[in-house]
Amino acid sequence: MPPSGIVPKSLLSPEGRDRRRRRFGLWTVLVLLLGVALSLLVWLTLNYESTRLQEKAESVGLAITSDVRQALGQDLQSLQSLLWNDPSIGQWRTDATELLRSRRNIMRVERRQSLDKQLQLVDAIETPYQAAVFGVMPREQLDAETLLACTNARRLASPAYSRSYFVPLPGGHGLEVIDVCIPVQLSGQPAGFMTATFSLSNLLNMSIGAEPSKGFEVSFVDSDGSRLARAGAARGAGVFVADRLIDLPGTTMKLRVDSVAGHPRLIPNLAVALVLGLSLGLACVVVLLVRDVRRRGIAEAALAEALAFRKAMEDSLVTGLRARDLEGRVTYVNPAFCKLVGFAAHELVGVSTPPYWPAELVDDYTRRQAVRLKAFGTEGLSHESQEGFETTFVRADGRRIAVLIFEAPLVNGEGRHTGWMSAVLDVSEQRRVEELSRQQQERLAATARLATVGEMASLLSHELNQPLAAIASYATGSLNLLKEPPFDAHMIEVAIGRIAEQAERAGQVIKSVHDFVRRREHAREPVRAQTLIDAVLPLVHLQARKSGSRVSVVCPADLPRVMCDRTMVEQVLLNLTRNGIQAMEAHTAIEQRELQLRVQRQGARWLSFHVVDHGPGIDAEVAQRLFTPFFTTRTEGMGLGLSLCRTVIEQHGGQLDFENRAVGGAEFLFTLPVQEPPSPPYQGVPPP
Amino acid sequence: MSLQLDPSLGLPVVYLVDDEDVVRDALAWLLRTRRLLSESFPSAERFEEFLGARPLPWPTSPSCLLLDVRMPGTSGLVLFERLMERRDLAASLPVIFLTGHGDVPTAVGAVKRGAYDFVEKPFADNALVDRIERALAVSGESLLQRREADRFARLQAELTDRERDVMRLVVEGRANKVIAEALHISVRTVEVHRARVFEKMNVKSAVELANLLQQMGH
Repeated sequence: MPPSGIVPKSLLSPEGRDRRRRRFGLWTVLVLLLGVALSLLVWLTLNYESTRLQEKAESVGLAITSDVRQALGQDLQSLQSLLWNDPSIGQWRTDATELLRSRRNIMRVERRQSLDKQLQLVDAIETPYQAAVFGVMPREQLDAETLLACTNARRLASPAYSRSYFVPLPGGHGLEVIDVCIPVQLSGQPAGFMTATFSLSNLLNMSIGAEPSKGFEVSFVDSDGSRLARAGAARGAGVFVADRLIDLPGTTMKLRVDSVAGHPRLIPNLAVALVLGLSLGLACVVVLLVRDVRRRGIAEAALAEALAFRKAMEDSLVTGLRARDLEGRVTYVNPAFCKLVGFAAHELVGVSTPPYWPAELVDDYTRRQAVRLKAFGTEGLSHESQEGFETTFVRADGRRIAVLIFEAPLVNGEGRHTGWMSAVLDVSEQRRVEELSRQQQERLAATARLATVGEMASLLSHELNQPLAAIASYATGSLNLLKEPPFDAHMIEVAIGRIAEQAERAGQVIKSVHDFVRRREHAREPVRAQTLIDAVLPLVHLQARKSGSRVSVVCPADLPRVMCDRTMVEQVLLNLTRNGIQAMEAHTAIEQRELQLRVQRQGARWLSFHVVDHGPGIDAEVAQRLFTPFFTTRTEGMGLGLSLCRTVIEQHGGQLDFENRAVGGAEFLFTLPVQEPPSPPYQGVPPP
Repeated sequence: MSLQLDPSLGLPVVYLVDDEDVVRDALAWLLRTRRLLSESFPSAERFEEFLGARPLPWPTSPSCLLLDVRMPGTSGLVLFERLMERRDLAASLPVIFLTGHGDVPTAVGAVKRGAYDFVEKPFADNALVDRIERALAVSGESLLQRREADRFARLQAELTDRERDVMRLVVEGRANKVIAEALHISVRTVEVHRARVFEKMNVKSAVELANLLQQMGH
């Protein structure tokens, strides 16, 4: 979840909130349905489990009940068989002993006779498997239930069971037993009863089979639920309980089957665990899905917002943007760029030779572009991308515009260089103004120079005119007088005196001009080479930018100052750099157009200034006449530049010279004297 | 060539306005050798002072002004413009500009606006004096005309109203009879008036009278 500051505003708008609420509702319903389904599934599974366990308990109960019945039935038959054919007491005892040995649940068999309305114990035989039942408490104290059963049996004239009762055994133990009373008839006449005592626990142990009753506690319970005798598993959980009634003549017993298994628990049950695990997994998946969808929604909205933002930004830019791939094909242009060049975006994208390149310069541009595209990461380019480079585009309407381009490499998400992004500025207006102001400045300077010269000439002529006019007047007047004698000699004398006066005055004027020229030489001052170069550099850059040249300056910081007339030497530097730049305009490839300005020491007394170009150099023929006044290779020049430069430098005591460089291009150099302490006189010859 | 002027006009005078003493003195001296009187002023302001002190009408004798174009203070051109505003001076005081180097176009402009001429320094001096004399002649001519006009005005002032009416019709070339009818007077009376007009205006014929009136701009 991004911090709230980045959440796009549209999410918080009313409709956005509505949409969000609806989505939230959907998700809630889904989660609820899923919860209900899963709970139902779990509940059904548990319910099925319970039902299954209950049914098992019921069926086990049923089975054991019938077994108990069967066992009791068999016992009863065996007991009745003891009385068949009226056996003698001895015979009976033998038979009964035999019977007790075979049936372990019968604890004791008795014979009783009715005597004075009392039932007298006649004989009794104990089971051989354990100590006598009534060892701890005598039989007489425990036969209430037995007598009741006999009474019932006499009334029914068939065997009847007593209710169960507790017989204490030695060692604090006890035994729950039940009696059956069988009326004995001798020759059709009642002759007492035979009673048998069954151990309920033995009865149960005999009755429960091995397999089906495993896992169940089987017990006889009395009416209030207390356990009388139990068998089977150690202890039932009391949850899945099946109660069966066993109807016996004279009494009813309740058999209870109690499963060891308690309430079906969730985890141990494999099916439930599986379902639970699945539902948990499902819930997790749903939660993840919700989060994912939510994140996706936010990201989508943010992306849409960012896209709209970027689009608005690009559309509102006045700067043209253009992207190119590594092959130089245009991959993207913004509206400002389209407006700039007057072409529609679809006319530009995918084109490797854009229509805004001037037709005659396509080769040039292609070459230049190849150089630029190759130069990724090199020193020169980073410099260029900061300063931008200038070039010419032609608009769709044919108008040419000067543009300034800043290029930066496009690097994709994997850090791979995929192309170039350029910001394009229309600087034609600016260039035009600059050009205009430059021209104006030049014209102004020329005018100023002319004005100075004119002023000087005017002043001179005025100063000289006065005495000359006077001289002429006196001379003419004298002649006039001399033509008409007799003349006044004094007048002529005065006139000639005035003439002499005025001639001298004219001489003074000439002399003062001379002095003025001499004063100019005293205008020399110590100047740092860097200062001279800094003064002309802006103008040089202007010129260089026009032709796409670069300018480099090598000027060590520790150079001494030179003695010179700043203005004049700056003019010389300007002249030489302009020549150099113009020499490179015609024949030099654009990437080689470099003009170097270098200053270095020449011995102790001189500094040399070098202007090095990469032009075609200077022909031998041209070289001969290079410094001749009024010689020029250009149509617009006067041919005075180099000749004047040479004069200026020579006036400073230096030399101006040039040479063609072996690698191509020309090098102009001139020397200027360094500032020196006033005392030592000039010695030595300036180096070339 | 020498200057021929009506002696009744008085001695011609050349006024020199130039800030350069040397030039002024030399010119004055030169003019003296040609028997011309001159009066020098070192600035336009001084000349204007002098002019303000003269009783009108002025000048009373043939005059000419030599004016330097460039002067400190009021320049020659400014002074010239001021003089041009005075109609009475326009013809009687011709102006010759003295120009230095580079002032030629200015001087040409001034000539187009009514200056008499200009000369470039340094000047061929006798040629300059010749021009000065021609300018003086122009000035003298203008003075004569003024004197003639004054005389005519004086004569005309002596005519009665009736005589003036008759003179107008005579100059138009009407016969006496026509004039008499037009003015409701007798032919005889017309003849008397006509004779008076001729006498007063000092002419002998109607043609002469017409010429005189035309000259005076009537």
